[in-house]
Amino acid sequence: MRLSHGFVRGESLNCIYHGWVYGANGGCSRIPAHPELVPPASIKAEVFSCAQANGVMFAGPAGATMDLPDLVGWRALRSMPFECSQQDLEQGLPGFAAVAPGRFEGKVTLGGTKAQLCLLVQELALGKRMVHALCGPQHDAVALSRWLEALRLRVEEEKAA
Amino acid sequence: MIPKAVMDEWYPVAMASLIGAQGRQTQILGLPIRVFRQADGAIAVHGADGKALPVILRFGHVWVCPGTPAHDLFTVPEADQPGRRLVDCGVVRVKCSPLRAVENFLDIAHFPFVHTDILGAEPHTEVNRYEVQIREDSDEVWATKVHFYQPQAAKSAAGGIVTEYMYRVAAPTAAVLYKTCPARPGEWDVIGIFVQPLSEELCDVWPWMALYDDTTPMASLIQFQQMIFLQDRSILENQIPRLLPLDPGMEIPTQADLTSIAYRRWLKRKGLTYGAQMVAA
Repeated sequence: MRLSHGFVRGESLNCIYHGWVYGANGGCSRIPAHPELVPPASIKAEVFSCAQANGVMFAGPAGATMDLPDLVGWRALRSMPFECSQQDLEQGLPGFAAVAPGRFEGKVTLGGTKAQLCLLVQELALGKRMVHALCGPQHDAVALSRWLEALRLRVEEEKAA
Repeated sequence: MIPKAVMDEWYPVAMASLIGAQGRQTQILGLPIRVFRQADGAIAVHGADGKALPVILRFGHVWVCPGTPAHDLFTVPEADQPGRRLVDCGVVRVKCSPLRAVENFLDIAHFPFVHTDILGAEPHTEVNRYEVQIREDSDEVWATKVHFYQPQAAKSAAGGIVTEYMYRVAAPTAAVLYKTCPARPGEWDVIGIFVQPLSEELCDVWPWMALYDDTTPMASLIQFQQMIFLQDRSILENQIPRLLPLDPGMEIPTQADLTSIAYRRWLKRKGLTYGAQMVAA
C-alpha cells in the first residue's frame, strides 16, 4: 500500500493497512502487531525534501536545496489530473507562454474581464500530468475552475489518437 | 499460457439458487463460460466452444474445473451439522488478483485498522504467536491457535471477546476460517471466501457462512459480511504490485504474516502462478 493512503497521527505517518508507524526520518518506529518489537532499520520509507510557497507544495531529493519558483502575487487554485501528453496540453493553451520549464502563464477571458492564470505542470507518467493552477487573489475562483475543466475536456478529446 | 496445475483446480462461478434457464455469462481464468440450468434441473457450465465443463454443486455455489480435475473439491463437515444456518452472502467484485483476495482473508493484523471497532480496535493490536503448517495429507495450509481481541466479533456477540481462530486454505482461491462461536461455546462458526478468478487482476468474491445463530435475521448476517468485504476491497484495489509476489523481495514479513508466507510458498511449490508474479517485489 502506498503510504499516501495512510493517516497522520502526531509526528508520524501511519500505513492504513496494518498501522505501521513511520517517523519524519522515514524509519518505521512501531509495528502494532508486535508492540514489543523494535522494527529493523531496513524498514524505511524513502524521504524527500519539501517546501511550501504560496500554498503549493514542492518536493525534491533528500538533502537537496530547493530553488523555489517566485510565486508572489499568485494564489493556489486547484490541482487537476490531465490524461494527455505535454504536447497536447501546450496545444490547448494558445496565448500562454512557457516562462520556465513546466510553468505556463497566460490570460483567460471570463465574461467581460481577463484573469491571469499560472499553470505548474507535473508529469506523472507518459500521457498523464497533474496541472497545479494558480490565479490572482482577486479572481473568480469558481469561474476559473470551470474554465480549467473545459480546457481539460477539450485537450483530452482533441489529443492525437 | 495458463499452467495445467491452475486449470485442473475447482473454482466457484455462481450461487446455485440464482441460476435459472437463462443462466449467467461469466468468465474463469479469462475464459468465457455460461452457467445455466438444464431442462432436467441440473446446472451445467459450458465453455466458449460449447463444451461441458466438470461441475460440482457444494456450499450453495456452483464450482467448475476448466481443465481435468486433479482431485475432488474440498469438504466442510461443519456445513452438515444440524442447526447450522448456511448463508450465501452474494458476490463482491474486486479489481485485484484472486490470490490477493485470499491472502487478505488470512490476515488478522489489519482488523483494528480496516475493520475498526468491529473485528479489532486499538490498542488491542498485538498478534500473538500462532501455529502454521502445510498439511501433507490434505495438501492444505492451516493456521491454528490464532487469538485476537474483538469488540464485536460476530452479529451474535454481545460485547468484546478474545476470539480464537483457525484458518484453512482449501484450494488455490478458496479459504475457510473457523472462529469462536458465541452462541455455542465449544463449536466453531465457519466463514468461507470462495474467489472466482475472472482474470489475473479481477475477481468475484463469494462469501459463505455456516453458523450457529438462531436469532439474527438473514439480511443482517449478509449485510455484516458484505460490509466487512467492502472495507477489504478498499485495501485490495490499492495493493502494489497488483500480482501477488511469490519470491522474496522488498517486503519484510513479520511473525504475524506466517499464514501468508505459507500460502505463497504453497502456491509456488504447486505452480499455481495465475494472479502471481515470480520476480521479487
